[in-house]
Amino acid sequence: MLITAIESMGLLCSRHQEYNQADSEENAQTAEIERRIEQETKAEKHIQKLLLLGAGESGKSTIFKQIKLLFQTGFDEAELKSYIPVVYANVYQTIKTLYDGSKELAQNEADSLKYVISAETKDVAEKLSSIGGRLDYPHLSKELAQEIETLWKDAAIQETYSRGNEFQVPDCAHYFMENLSRLSDTNYVPTKEDVLFARVRTTGVVEIQFSPVGENKKSGEVYRLFDVGGQRNERRKWIHLFEGVSAVIFCAAISEYDQTLFEDENKNRMMETRELFEWVLKQPCFEVCQLHVKTSFMLFLNKFDIFEKKVLNVPLNACEWFKDYQPVSTGKQEIEHAYEFVKKKFEELYFQCTAPDRVDRVFKIYRTTALDQKLVKKTFKLVDETLRRRNLFEAGLL
Amino acid sequence: MPMYQPSSRGREGFEVSGGGQVLDLETAVKDGILGGGGGVVHSCATGEKFDLKKMIEELDSIEIPSVFICPISLEPMQDPVTLCTGQTYERSNILKWFSLGHFTCPTTMQELWDDSITPNSTLYQLIYSWFTQKYLAMKKRSEDVQGRALELLETLKKVKGQARVQALKELRQVVSAHDSAKKTVVDNGGVALLSSLLGPFTTHAVGSEAIGILVNLDFSSDAKTNLRQPAKVSLMVDILNEGSIDTKINCTKLIETLIDGEDFESEIVSSLSLLVGVLRLVKDKRHPNGVLAGLRLLKMICSHESVRNSVVSIGAVPQLVELLPTLNPECLELALYVLEALCTLPEGGLALKNCPSAIPAIVKLLMKVSESCTHFALSILWAVCKLAPEECAALAVDAGLAAKLLLVIQSGCNPVLKQRSAELLKLCSLNYTATLFISKCKLTRTIQ
Repeated sequence: MLITAIESMGLLCSRHQEYNQADSEENAQTAEIERRIEQETKAEKHIQKLLLLGAGESGKSTIFKQIKLLFQTGFDEAELKSYIPVVYANVYQTIKTLYDGSKELAQNEADSLKYVISAETKDVAEKLSSIGGRLDYPHLSKELAQEIETLWKDAAIQETYSRGNEFQVPDCAHYFMENLSRLSDTNYVPTKEDVLFARVRTTGVVEIQFSPVGENKKSGEVYRLFDVGGQRNERRKWIHLFEGVSAVIFCAAISEYDQTLFEDENKNRMMETRELFEWVLKQPCFEVCQLHVKTSFMLFLNKFDIFEKKVLNVPLNACEWFKDYQPVSTGKQEIEHAYEFVKKKFEELYFQCTAPDRVDRVFKIYRTTALDQKLVKKTFKLVDETLRRRNLFEAGLL
Repeated sequence: MPMYQPSSRGREGFEVSGGGQVLDLETAVKDGILGGGGGVVHSCATGEKFDLKKMIEELDSIEIPSVFICPISLEPMQDPVTLCTGQTYERSNILKWFSLGHFTCPTTMQELWDDSITPNSTLYQLIYSWFTQKYLAMKKRSEDVQGRALELLETLKKVKGQARVQALKELRQVVSAHDSAKKTVVDNGGVALLSSLLGPFTTHAVGSEAIGILVNLDFSSDAKTNLRQPAKVSLMVDILNEGSIDTKINCTKLIETLIDGEDFESEIVSSLSLLVGVLRLVKDKRHPNGVLAGLRLLKMICSHESVRNSVVSIGAVPQLVELLPTLNPECLELALYVLEALCTLPEGGLALKNCPSAIPAIVKLLMKVSESCTHFALSILWAVCKLAPEECAALAVDAGLAAKLLLVIQSGCNPVLKQRSAELLKLCSLNYTATLFISKCKLTRTIQ
């Protein structure tokens, strides 16, 4: 509105060819505003956009939290406390899922007795199950925590947990179940680790702006990191974010090759991730240049900690994509071999979807465990180095 | 009689300089009056006796004063003897001259009135001192360098971050310039140390320098096995894809060293990122060194059958074909080897067939560059013509294949090649009548 006013005033002035005091002040102000707009637009251009993409529960938000902890002021007490309802929700949902699962297995399995919980616990289990089904959860009292722990330790529940991949048991289940007494303390304030483990489905888009502090404490690039929801219904929101992205960080949880989707229990999670990866790569906007820099692609093969425990017991061929996998040895060597196999599959997929002779862009694969802060810091340091080098290269300075 | 061309310093050397100064042995040698480049001022009185022959051998690249050189052999004298004419020669050489029946002084052509040969002890002393001085200076320089290399290795064990990068940069400079430093690094666990720096979290700065050093060193097969760990190879591939041209070449050479030999799983070279990176290097016409290094690695990779499919899948065939006209003979041979290896696969042959300029380009190369190139070109054409006889044979013949084949058959090439050519000629002529084919051959009437 100010601009319109100035414009019309300008017309007036040119007609009368007379500048009074007020007019010149307005002009100075306009100039100042325009200068500020220009400055911010320029600054905006130097902010590099990073996009965290991936299927649901692939670890995007965990990475997001880690970046917050590493390069921003972290979580203050109020923020930490804001996670208490999330933690409690995880606890109730987990125990309900496990109990419902045990009932299902008791009905359908031949050796059903394994999955029948002991008589004493049955009432408590039913109560907890109904709590878990509510829309809002009660505070976790010492009593409730005790009851949940008893149920958790029941043989039938443990048996069900070992088949957790068949149900939607969250990855944080074990962690929270083992910490119940602490979580139910009167003055419980979630630790950083609790926050990292806390699972809540992201909806919409969240962003933070940060600057990774280098060795010489000089601030380097400025990044703006966007976190999105990974479930299918969230993905239509992604397309609005794709413009002008410096790098896509695609998270793939490699431990979920034997699990099914939350939103579709008939779909294998790894197959979903594969399709999603392909879809993202084929988006035309990723080939369009922003400042002549083609979008770099960082693939985080995440949840390695769970992968390395799982892969020796559950063969990779559980997933159709990996059906041609042949184990070659045992122990640590085998874990490495399996990892390299998965990595190669993703690599092949990448090159199938992009024409390497035409598209020259950065593509790097990182092995991550998003819950491990040190690892995430080291990984991000490499990502930062790559992006900085890329910028220098594109600017012709390398 | 060719004379040793002395440097300008050497020519002046033998005169007493600075007006009447007494020229003693030490001064003459110390002040570099005898020329041959300035050396470190060093006392010769170390008491140690060096073997002159050994010293001469080790100092072979140094510029030797002309007065020390035997006019017959043009080598430094180890046992100088003087004839009655006053000219000095290496004893064994002049004796040989005499034994051939000559009794003249080789340089002055004068007939000798006296057959005595006098050992020139003064000259011997001078030669010995001069070489000793140079030898000791070289040894000291070498020790300095070796000492520095050791220091840097120790530093690398302790520091991180920027300091580490700096230490690596300096070590790289030292190692590239001095062979003795290379040996020091290898003998003091340097290879294992550098190898330990390479891993999934190595920064580009550290990795590229470490690789730059490793590429200069010889390592044991244990070290090679260590370096072949997937995480380390992944790093090398990443650095190859992102680095400067020199870094790319270093990575390529290092990987080449690692896969040389049969005793490894071809899995490490089947990484598509590696293949794409190498191909990009090969296509970069601005850097011929890179093209050569890339082709050498590509050749080594393609010698493994299991990987060939991957190479074809990234579009190597059309890209290589496009490059052929720009390559020098050495690169051409490598490129044709690769194409030939790829054509052993049906996918490879298909890719070649689908490349419109391929067949004419390859026909052109027959009998043009070298026998090996002709051999590979022939095999490629054979593979492709077998795949799609009508299409490819026609194309090839139109490009002048028949005349070239006849040339091969008539040339002095090895019999296998001639045999192949004859077979290919037969294959190509199947679709034509005799007259048509002959006209396509553009033969002269005499050959007809």
